[in-house]
Amino acid sequence: MSVSVLAALRTFKKHALIVLAVIVGFTVGHLVNANFYSDDAPVQPIEFSHRIHAAENEIPCMHCHVHAATSINAGVPSVNKCMNCHRAMPGVWESPEILKVRGYWERSEPIPWVKVYDLPDFVYFPHKRHIQAEVECQSCHGDVQEMDRVEKVSPLKMQWCLDCHKTREVENGRDCWTCHK
Amino acid sequence: MSAIDRRDFLKLVGAGTAGAGAGFLVKESSRDRREQYIPYVATPEDYAPGIATWYKTVCRQCNAGCGIQVRIREGRAKKIEGNAMHPVSQGRSCALGQSGLNVLYHPDRLRTPQQRRGDRGSGSFAPISWEQAYTSVAERLASLRRAGKGERIAVLTGTVQGHMHDLLEIFMRGLGSERYLQYDFSSPESLLAANKTTYGREELPYYDIANADFLLSFGADYLSHWLSPVHHGMAYGNLRQGAGRKRGDVVQVEARMSLSGANADKWLPARPGSEGLIALAIANKIAGGSGGLSAYTVARAASASGLTAETIEELAVAFTTADKPLAIAGGPATHSSNGTANAVAVNVLNAVGGGALVANPSPVIGASATNRRAGFADIRKLIADMSAGSIDALIIADTNPVFSVPDQFGLRAAIESVPFVTAISPFVDDTSAMADIILTPHSALESWGDDAPQPGVGLSTASIAQPVVAPVHDTRALGDIIIELGRRLDNNVATTLPWDTTYDFLRAQWRKIYDARAGSLDGMNFEEFWNSVLQAGVWAEERKGPALAVTSGVIDPGTPVIPDGEFSFHFQPYISPIFADGRGANLPWQQELPDPLTGVVYNSWIELNPATAKEMKLKDGDVVEVSSASGSLRAPVIIYPAVRPDVVAMPIGQGHQHYGRYASKRGANPLAILNDTVDRDSGALAWCATTVSIKSVGERVALIRNSGTPRELGRSILGPYGEGGKTRHESDDDHG
Repeated sequence: MSVSVLAALRTFKKHALIVLAVIVGFTVGHLVNANFYSDDAPVQPIEFSHRIHAAENEIPCMHCHVHAATSINAGVPSVNKCMNCHRAMPGVWESPEILKVRGYWERSEPIPWVKVYDLPDFVYFPHKRHIQAEVECQSCHGDVQEMDRVEKVSPLKMQWCLDCHKTREVENGRDCWTCHK
Repeated sequence: MSAIDRRDFLKLVGAGTAGAGAGFLVKESSRDRREQYIPYVATPEDYAPGIATWYKTVCRQCNAGCGIQVRIREGRAKKIEGNAMHPVSQGRSCALGQSGLNVLYHPDRLRTPQQRRGDRGSGSFAPISWEQAYTSVAERLASLRRAGKGERIAVLTGTVQGHMHDLLEIFMRGLGSERYLQYDFSSPESLLAANKTTYGREELPYYDIANADFLLSFGADYLSHWLSPVHHGMAYGNLRQGAGRKRGDVVQVEARMSLSGANADKWLPARPGSEGLIALAIANKIAGGSGGLSAYTVARAASASGLTAETIEELAVAFTTADKPLAIAGGPATHSSNGTANAVAVNVLNAVGGGALVANPSPVIGASATNRRAGFADIRKLIADMSAGSIDALIIADTNPVFSVPDQFGLRAAIESVPFVTAISPFVDDTSAMADIILTPHSALESWGDDAPQPGVGLSTASIAQPVVAPVHDTRALGDIIIELGRRLDNNVATTLPWDTTYDFLRAQWRKIYDARAGSLDGMNFEEFWNSVLQAGVWAEERKGPALAVTSGVIDPGTPVIPDGEFSFHFQPYISPIFADGRGANLPWQQELPDPLTGVVYNSWIELNPATAKEMKLKDGDVVEVSSASGSLRAPVIIYPAVRPDVVAMPIGQGHQHYGRYASKRGANPLAILNDTVDRDSGALAWCATTVSIKSVGERVALIRNSGTPRELGRSILGPYGEGGKTRHESDDDHG
């Protein structure tokens, strides 16, 4: 009886192999995307390198992220700010990435940066509090000055926030209302 | 198993590759979309993300002219509060003022100019460009002007204060037309007429409620809408519990208890139309029979009003014993057929009893705007002219007369007979739905302007209104529309309007104010002066008004009408504290704000006394038909203990045919069924003088109200009533 089943399947064998190949391929493609094309380091509209700016040229963080110490948002520089410095730097004026910046400036378009660190709307996170408490930028954002493309290094989960609040003995640092208000 | 040949191998490789690609894309598409972080191209001045900036400007939600400040974050207006430096609002604001944000970001706001598609009044429009809109309006006006028919162009606006009024005057002179009217339903027309009779000047003095210690209000709901409600709210607080003074007493005389009545010590439900007789009887009592008032006896007032003679005499005693008494008139008292006479009677009472009035200095800016304030008689004349075909073009800006003028007067048909109608309106409302072209103006929070509050607060005050956000849609400032239309007419008109923008015009006018006072402004140059006014939101100087000299005597208020026959109820529409004269009905925050006295949201209703309701076997939510000699409407009943049994009261504001998604075809408009009764002295619309009948139509609706039950249900909220803690309300079947 088993012989007759095998005989019946035989004609489908090649089709079954093709279906199997599709399934295996699908799984591999899915895994490749999930593991090697991570959300943690999204491709930005301009290949802006923090390494060149912050490490090689030693520009302090808050030269560009001007509002970090005074506002809940650190702020991203305007296109105008990029251009202000780069107009004075003929050496890289024609480089491909600067040409992109110049393009945005000439079209009067803002640069649509992709957020790397994004908190849900129900979390109140003020940058200024953390700067005033002398938390280093790097303690949450990692060694940004070593990165060409910024990569998310912190999970931004509640436990991770609380661990730090506990270690640093933050006043009211474990109250729900401190962050969820 | 058969061997895999070359052909099969290629098939398998192809299938695997296709699968891998599909897997990659499926995972990619299942990711959350990344948020973007979009900076400015060039950061505007004083902008920081996450940090709010407050800008001072002037509220335009009613005509009180409160100074406000608006919280701006990331270029968006977030919250409106009162401007603490402004003498009218002193840091306070009202619900309607707060809803200014709703106007700015309203989903039904017209984003570009519109051209009519369907019939007039159908509300069907198609967007057109500003160039097309300007061209079609200007061509029409210019051709009329060229044909020497400039005077056949009429402009009808709401209350336009400050220098914007002067700009309109210049424009109208250029057109060669005298037909420029400002019409506002809630304008205190009879009060102004009465003040002209009593003091010789058609102005409002400052009614000093804050410093009075006995306030006698004849129908003036000063806490919800009368003249300047935010200011009066503060004044009331000071009267009641100001530091270092004794608590003032408040008595409210009105047939239907308003919010102010609910906050008074005593509410006296006098018969509608008898208010003047009561005021004169008190004045007569104070004057001791002299001063030509001897005909106005307490007995006459008592029989006319239904109040007892003792009550009226007590009022006279309270008025005399108070250090600073004050009587005010408004609402139903001034909007019945003897409204002016009632208001004159109250003026006489203040004159005899030493009422706490302060004369206002003439406004610094826009003083001539009062000349264009249309009385209802002017509106009737305009309707007659339109119907007779003497108007070829009509421009209506910022007012909704089709809603607020009773159908009986035929305004709708008159507008339909005008060949060319332009509306300057941010919304399709009952009036702009009749227009051929709608020009879409900025909201108040996007425009330059200025204002001298009317009524003033006893000192000379002016404020500059500045835009607090960049325009949200493709709209233009009212002033810019006027300037641009003027330019396109012809050179003669253009030279009278030499400014490029409203801003330039305003600066030029304020330079004149500065120049007239340059010596006395601490050596400030003009820029410093301008910036300091912008920063403070207001500028004031000490200047006294001429004393209020009483020039004339009494107008006899006559005997109040007692309704009988078919229409056996007084019909008293009242201006809603939420929608004002109806302008707030399209704002969602206002629609969901419960009425302070009945707790109803989203609907119209009529208020009936429990005794009347019981007699007619009506319960809360029973729909009735309210009929006057001029029309009828349907609305559910609310049993309201604080209304006379012979009065049917109804809030104004709902019942729009067109006014956006939140207001259109919601509820009923009480103004639509009013008779054509006017005040016999001033000609003002007597919107409290109609009599009606009511009959049940056998339907019920569930009213949405947040008040639950008017009973205590044993919770002893009002305190124990006698032995055993039984409460007053529990022992009473008729809602107390």
